[in-house]
Amino acid sequence: MLLYILKRVFYVVPVALGVSLLCFLLVHIAPGDPLVSVLPADASQALVEQMRVAYGFDRPLPVQFAIWLGRALTGDLGTSIATGRPVASEVSTAVANTVLLAIVATLIGFAIGGALGFIAGYFRGSWIDRLATILSIAGVSVPHYWLGMVLVIVFAVTLNWLPASGAGPGGSSQWAWDWEHARYLILPAVTMSVIPMGIVTRTLRALVGDILSQEFVDALRAKGMRDGAIFAHVVKNAAPTALAVMGLQLGYLLGGSILIETVFSWPGTGFLLNAAIFQRDLPLLQGTILVLGIFFVALNLVVDVAQAALDPRIRRS
Amino acid sequence: MDATAAPHRGYWAGVGRRLMRDRVAMACAAVLLALVLAALLAPWLGLADPYRGSIARRLRPIGFVTPQGVVHWLGTDEQGRDMLARLIYGARLSLFLGIVPVFNAFVIGSALGILAGYVGGRVNMAIMRTIDVFYAFPSVLLAIAISGALGAGITNSLLSLTIVFVPPIARVAESVTTSVRSLDFVDAARASGAGALTIIRVHVLGNVLGPVFVYATGLISVAMILASGLSFLGLGTKPPEPEWGLMLNTLRTAIYSQPLVAALPGAMIFMVSICFNMLSDGLRSAMDVKL
Amino acid sequence: MKLGLLAGAAGLALAASAGLANAQGTLRIAMTAADIPKTHGQPDQGFEGNRFTGIPMYDALTAWDLSSADKPSVVIPGLATEWAVDANDKTKWVFKLRPGVKFHDGSDFGADAVVWNVEKVLKQDATHFDPSQVGVTASRMPTLRSARKIDALTVELTTSQPDSFLPINLTNLFMASPAHWQKLFDAAQGADAKAKAAAAWTAFAANASGTGPFRMERFVPRERLEVVKNAAYWDTPRVPKLDRVVMLPMPEANTRTAALLSGQVDWIEAPAPDAVAQLKQRGMVITANAQPHVWPWQFSFVEGSPFADRRVRQAANLCVNRGEMKELLAGLMEPAKGTVPPGHPWWGNPKFDIKYDPDAARKLMSEAGFSKAKPLTVKIQTSASGSGQMMPLPMNELMQQNLSDCFFKVDLDVIEWNTLFTNWRRGAKDETARGAHAINVTYAAMDPFFAMARFLDSKMAPPVSNNWGFVNDPEFDTLVAEARSTFEAGARDAALAKLHARSVDEAVFLWVAHDVGPRAMTQRVKGFVQPKSWFIDLTTVSMQ
Repeated sequence: MLLYILKRVFYVVPVALGVSLLCFLLVHIAPGDPLVSVLPADASQALVEQMRVAYGFDRPLPVQFAIWLGRALTGDLGTSIATGRPVASEVSTAVANTVLLAIVATLIGFAIGGALGFIAGYFRGSWIDRLATILSIAGVSVPHYWLGMVLVIVFAVTLNWLPASGAGPGGSSQWAWDWEHARYLILPAVTMSVIPMGIVTRTLRALVGDILSQEFVDALRAKGMRDGAIFAHVVKNAAPTALAVMGLQLGYLLGGSILIETVFSWPGTGFLLNAAIFQRDLPLLQGTILVLGIFFVALNLVVDVAQAALDPRIRRS
Repeated sequence: MDATAAPHRGYWAGVGRRLMRDRVAMACAAVLLALVLAALLAPWLGLADPYRGSIARRLRPIGFVTPQGVVHWLGTDEQGRDMLARLIYGARLSLFLGIVPVFNAFVIGSALGILAGYVGGRVNMAIMRTIDVFYAFPSVLLAIAISGALGAGITNSLLSLTIVFVPPIARVAESVTTSVRSLDFVDAARASGAGALTIIRVHVLGNVLGPVFVYATGLISVAMILASGLSFLGLGTKPPEPEWGLMLNTLRTAIYSQPLVAALPGAMIFMVSICFNMLSDGLRSAMDVKL
Repeated sequence: MKLGLLAGAAGLALAASAGLANAQGTLRIAMTAADIPKTHGQPDQGFEGNRFTGIPMYDALTAWDLSSADKPSVVIPGLATEWAVDANDKTKWVFKLRPGVKFHDGSDFGADAVVWNVEKVLKQDATHFDPSQVGVTASRMPTLRSARKIDALTVELTTSQPDSFLPINLTNLFMASPAHWQKLFDAAQGADAKAKAAAAWTAFAANASGTGPFRMERFVPRERLEVVKNAAYWDTPRVPKLDRVVMLPMPEANTRTAALLSGQVDWIEAPAPDAVAQLKQRGMVITANAQPHVWPWQFSFVEGSPFADRRVRQAANLCVNRGEMKELLAGLMEPAKGTVPPGHPWWGNPKFDIKYDPDAARKLMSEAGFSKAKPLTVKIQTSASGSGQMMPLPMNELMQQNLSDCFFKVDLDVIEWNTLFTNWRRGAKDETARGAHAINVTYAAMDPFFAMARFLDSKMAPPVSNNWGFVNDPEFDTLVAEARSTFEAGARDAALAKLHARSVDEAVFLWVAHDVGPRAMTQRVKGFVQPKSWFIDLTTVSMQ
């Protein structure tokens, strides 16, 4: 097991390095002057040059990359051009908010999708199976930013039940686990949960169906094992895959929240990324993408290791 | 693909038969076909000009009839243009942006995956580790980051979406190729002195492209949602081109005055995306692909 | 740990008090900015920054009169009570400062503070020099060079050339507290003085101190800014009626509308025009007033541009149906007839009357050699969004349709807002212009430099300033120089009027619309006066 973990960790290093190189290059292929957001419309050429030097944009690219990576390793992601605040602190606040949203969304999606998928797989061909199939396809097919807008119109504007945007009455820094705050989470989290719901339903339905059609289940039945025990068997066998799907979905939601966070003004990484793109805030853009990329890589690693821990067959392969 | 490359004719006939029996998949195929035909034949359908409207008749409800007797079956948009015409012409770009990047990625990704899977060793290492780096980003993030960096426009959207879909397709192609390569008949072919190209052409392509193709069809709906998402953020198509994501964006502010009209482009994306997914599922079970 | 608990408890208490305060005078505003404008005294985010994090928290030497909805907003004394240019050397100005003014931290305002604030952006070797503030500040007072203390309440300012626009420009230099900054600097961590100064400015932004009617109380980056009443404000009639103002960044028009309708905020900036009917129906109050703002196409005069031909420029001006445009925006715009409207001191009665007259436009186009069979293809660079851009896509699409009636074939090049903004400075000859014949960047017209000088003076061609299309007309140059060096207000306005009239006659721009700064608020908001300005005065507002 330890060897497996070491192997996986070792394998992650070059990928992480590649991820950081990609993040770095991504923003340098961009047209437009990165300094425009701090420079006035009629800045003189001398001022432009002065600012380029101040922000280090005058050095050759490889040098910039080396400096950037070196600092990133020590947790210094530079300073946001637009706000002058350290990127690391901006990103960490945003990551916390996105993680909160993504975890709640994954849990909702997993609870509903898991239940639906399990029942559908257990009772293949029944009406509930058909319903689950339709729901899961709808879940992965709906443009979720559009769904978010529709939900806001219905539940916030028309019915006035839930707030339309933001992260709590006092902003995310005063987040607390009570109804006054949780209300703010409901619409974005539900909107976000439709994708994992769809995917988890699909995966579990197929998985449970497969397990039930395997020979050992028949053998167990033949031995006179009760339904409850068979159910337990199925759960045990489906768990590693379900867990992996959940982990990956969490990762996708963390990185894929930009549209939903924009619709709901949720102060997370997607919101930050949107701001960074439209303000051409290169350090912020790099920092946010880097943190999300590394987060995703790490999450994959954790999922792999956890899966291997649950299922010894994986370790050997 | 010539006849010998495919597993055999009987297989495809069987796939076709099974697919025809799948009523849901067939219904979806019919919807998509109708939409594609309508989009292609749009100029001959007697539709209103999708680029010209009248501000005096902007944001009219579904089924609106002008005093002159012109019927706007699906109402008018924020420029007073006919929504039905916009939606049908819009299918051109929206479908294009859903299908073409996936097709490009299918070609590039399969080539990379098959190469990596067949040659193995260092080549595999180099290709797959590079792919892993791209794969390390969730697709939405990667698409938005690339589009955000390159700027708005159809070409840039195509480029970023293609880049997004190459890694997953290459991964699937690689894993299928690796498993096919180790199968007995490939060994037999090799033993009988067949060249690498012949083996790839006859055996590997035939057995790999099917599953990869099925997988790719499942990505079309993702591509459509992503492409319209890019337009929605202002990183995709430019006006006055009708495109569903952009229409969703520009009609967004009308959601208070004409909610049904404003919801139409989103509903189209939703419907087409469901159809592609259902069709892909049907194809998957007809071809008995497990991925 | 203990600290965290304490902070948490304080937060809860604050949240509870905020809940209570709602009833007593807390105003919650949704801004259009994607982020809270900078709070250290030199706001970014365009003039919305000055509106919300500049004017409420700080004062400048000169200020805008924001008290009337009917009269044009003019420059009035702020922290300076009077000023005059030196009769012999027109590059020297003497400003008399207001006595008895205190910063929020309790320190005194005086000549030292003015010198310090000029040096924060102009004296590169000063410890507190902040390069990140230079951008948004220096260009708004392009000729200011230095400041010198004469006595405790008198300063002398020096400009690089005689510049009668200086007092107007100075509305953009907000006075931050040097004493408070010094305290933060002394407490800051950093390898060298430069790093410490940067850290001190970041700390200052989170814990600001100015002289304004509102005092910063709470700052959550990217989410909210809370300011409270400064009961000791020097301008006693303008001590705020509100106890607290909460400002929230909400770049999406729909998000703002939803936030207002669901009771999350009391006031939103720039509601989406199409939501106005619904807002009114739900009992919201919509306010609007003409602003010194222009939504134009700025023409390229470089060789090969069809707009180098005055007939084509005039035809384009006559072919845009501004009435339809107004309908498109649910009435939330004023049709433009020039950079300033008729009746403005700088109007100058141009001969060319900008209106919708497609027949005249087609005639001009025929004279220029174009016809239905031989249309003119023009390329316009614009953005999908941006500060002051109103609704660029639908507006440009409408113009595209209108102009097609006058033999124009308009090709829109939609690029990202900040890229467009950079291109604006690079000019029509740069490769980033991608051969565009006009650029669609909106501008503020409250100050003569911003309204006219930077576009019409040939010396302002890129890379110096925003004469994007390389207008090069000796007569414009002469008129700009004349206005700049005229120090008597009436004579200066007359010079500017001549400049404006000529720019309209030459159709240097395609003038389309003036923004009216629409806002929507609940009926509980009382006492708000919307002046003819980009700015507003929050001190008169109260909550019922």
